[in-house]
Amino acid sequence: MSIKSLLEQLDDFFDLSRKKQRKKREKLDKLIVSLEEKKATLKRKIRRETHKEKNSKKAYNLCKEFKAISRIIKKAKKRADLISKVDCC
Amino acid sequence: MLKQIISPLIFLIFAWFVVSSDDAKTIISGIAIFLIGMHYMENGFKLFSGGTLESFLEKFTNTTPKAIGVGFLSTAVVQSSSLISVIIISFLSAELIGLTQAVGVIFGSNIGTTTTAWLVSSFGLKIKIAQYAMPMLIFGVIFQFSRHNSYKGLGSVLIGLGFIFLGIAYMKEGFDTLKEGINLAEYAMTGYSGVLVYLSLGAIATVIIQSSSATMAIIITALASGQIDYINALSLAIGANVGTTVTAILGSLASNRNGKRLAVAHFIFNIITGLVAVLLIYQLRDLVEFLAPYLSIAQNDYAMKLALFHTIFNVLGVLLVTPFIRPLVNYLQTLFCVKEKGRGQVKYLTEEVMQIPASALEALRKETIHLYDKSLEALVHAMNLHRSEIFSEREIPELVELSNETIHVDINRVYQEEIKNIYSEILRYSSQTQAYMDEEDNNKVYELKLTARNIVEMVKDIRELQKNLNYFIKIKNNYMINEYNKLRREIVTILRSIQQIRDTDFDSAEIMTELEVLKEKAADNERKLNQGIDKLIRDNKIDPKMAASLINDVGFMHSICKKLLKVAAVLWVKDKEIAELGDEYEY
Repeated sequence: MSIKSLLEQLDDFFDLSRKKQRKKREKLDKLIVSLEEKKATLKRKIRRETHKEKNSKKAYNLCKEFKAISRIIKKAKKRADLISKVDCC
Repeated sequence: MLKQIISPLIFLIFAWFVVSSDDAKTIISGIAIFLIGMHYMENGFKLFSGGTLESFLEKFTNTTPKAIGVGFLSTAVVQSSSLISVIIISFLSAELIGLTQAVGVIFGSNIGTTTTAWLVSSFGLKIKIAQYAMPMLIFGVIFQFSRHNSYKGLGSVLIGLGFIFLGIAYMKEGFDTLKEGINLAEYAMTGYSGVLVYLSLGAIATVIIQSSSATMAIIITALASGQIDYINALSLAIGANVGTTVTAILGSLASNRNGKRLAVAHFIFNIITGLVAVLLIYQLRDLVEFLAPYLSIAQNDYAMKLALFHTIFNVLGVLLVTPFIRPLVNYLQTLFCVKEKGRGQVKYLTEEVMQIPASALEALRKETIHLYDKSLEALVHAMNLHRSEIFSEREIPELVELSNETIHVDINRVYQEEIKNIYSEILRYSSQTQAYMDEEDNNKVYELKLTARNIVEMVKDIRELQKNLNYFIKIKNNYMINEYNKLRREIVTILRSIQQIRDTDFDSAEIMTELEVLKEKAADNERKLNQGIDKLIRDNKIDPKMAASLINDVGFMHSICKKLLKVAAVLWVKDKEIAELGDEYEY
C-alpha cells in the first residue's frame, strides 16, 4: 500500500464531514418542526380572519406569511433529504 | 556605507566562531533547530486548529479573568505567544474583541510562555528527548502528504515538536561538552551589579534570537550543565522577559494602531514585572526555595527552580498590573489616534485583519455593511427622501407623498467618490484572503463579493429611476407622480423592514421568514403596478412614452427590492443553514 492510499484511508477514518452533515440535518429537522407548527397556527388565524372579512389586509398579510413559510419548509425538506442521501452513500 | 561593511563583518566573525568551535557549533545549531521547531509549531497550529483556536479566543474572552485564562491556556498549548498576538491583533482590528480583552489575553499569554521553561526543565533535561524527536519528525512528514489542512497542520506541529526536542538535546550536549573545556560559571557575578549585567545579557540575547522561549531554553540547559550560576540564571530569565518587549515593539512598527497599542501594553507589563522581579529577586528566590519541596522539586534541581521562578514573577506581574487594566486601556486608547477617515474610505479592511480567516470574514462582512450604508444614503436621496424620515415612525404613504421636493444629488459623483473605492477594496481584500481560506470560507467570501456587487448595482438602478422621477415631478403630471410614489413606497417599505431587522434581535429563522414575506409581497405588488399601468394606458391617462418609462422603472424598482432582500439575507441571517434556504445567487 502506498503512503498516499494509506493517508486517504486515514482521512476517511477521521472524516468529520459526516458528523457535520448529521448536525446540519438535525438542525434542519428542528427548523422544519417549528415552522410546521407556525404554519398550522397561521392556517387557523387565516381561517378566523377570512371568516370575519374575506379581503382584509390582515388576512392578506397572513396569507403571504403562510406562503413564505411553506416555501421555506419545502426548501428545508429538500435540503435535509439531500443531506440524508449523501450520508447514505 | 558603514552599515554595508559592518553587517557582513559581523556575519563573518560569527561564521568563524561557529566553524572554529565545535561546542559553539553544537549549541548554536541547537538554537537554530529550536527556532525552526517554533516556526513549524506556529504554522502547524494555524492549520491544525482549523478555526478552533480562533473561535476559542473570540468566545471565551468576555471578562478580564477569562481573557487572562484563555491567553495562558492558548499560549501554553501552542507554545507561541507571537501566534496568539497575531490572532489577537487581527481580532482587535476586526472588532471581534475589545482592547480590554486583548490586553487580558496578552497578560495571560505572558504566563503561558512560562510553560516552555517547565517543558524544557522537566522533559527536556530528564529524559532523552532526542529519541522522541525522530518518530515525531517521521510521522510529521507523513502527515504533510495529507490532502486535509488539519492533518497537514498536525504534521507541522509534530515536525515542530520534533525539532524543538532535537534543538534542546543539541543545546544540552553542547553545554555539557563545553563544560569540559571552559567553565562559564567562573564569570559568575554576585550582588545587584551581577543581576543588572545578566539581565542585560538575557535581554540582548532575546532581542537577537527574537524568541524568549529560545532564550529560556538556552538558560535552562546552560544552568543544568552548571555553566551559569543560579542567581545569574534568574537575572537572565528576567532579562529574557524584558527583551521580548523589544521584539514586540519592532514587530508592531509595521502594524496598525491596535498592534502598536498592544505592544505598548506588553512593554508596560514586562517593564513593571521586570522591575518588581529585580527589586525582589532575593525574596522571590527564597519563595522558590520555600515552594519547591511542595512541588516535589529536588533541592539541587535548579532548572526546575528557575522554571518556578519564571512562573512566579510573571504571575506576580499579572496580579500587580491587572487591577489597573481599565486606566491602562484608557491610556492606550489615547495613543496612535488617527484622523477620521475621509468619505469613501474603508473602515475595517487592513492587512492585520486579513491574517486570520475568522477576522478577515468578519471585517469583510462589516465593510460590506459599510458599503450598504453608503449606498443607502445615495438610494434614499435619489428618491428625494432622507434617512431620518424613512426610519421614523411616520406612515410610509404620507411620508412619500409629502416628499416631492427634488434633492439634487449626482449619483454618478456619489458612486465615484464614496462607493467605488470601498467596493474595489472589498474585491481586492476578498481575492487576497481567498488564496489561503478553505472551501467553506471561500464560499462565504464569494457570497460577500456578490453582495457588494448587488449593492453597487442597486445604486446604478436607482440612478435610472431618479432621472424619470425628477422629470415627472418637474412637468407635474399627477398620474405619473402617483405611480412613482407607489414605486418609492415599495422601496421604502423594504428599507424600513431591513432596518428593523438590523435594530432588533431576531433569530435567523425569523429574519428569513420576514424576508421571504417581503419577497412575496414585492412580487405581488410588481404585478399590481404593471396592471395599474395597463389601465392608465387604456384610460388615456398617460401616453405610451410615459408608460414605457414607467414600466422600465417598475423593473428597476423590482430589481432594487430583490437585491435589497438578497443583501439582507447574506448580511443579517447569521445561521448558515437557514441563510442557505433563501434565494440562491443566480449569476
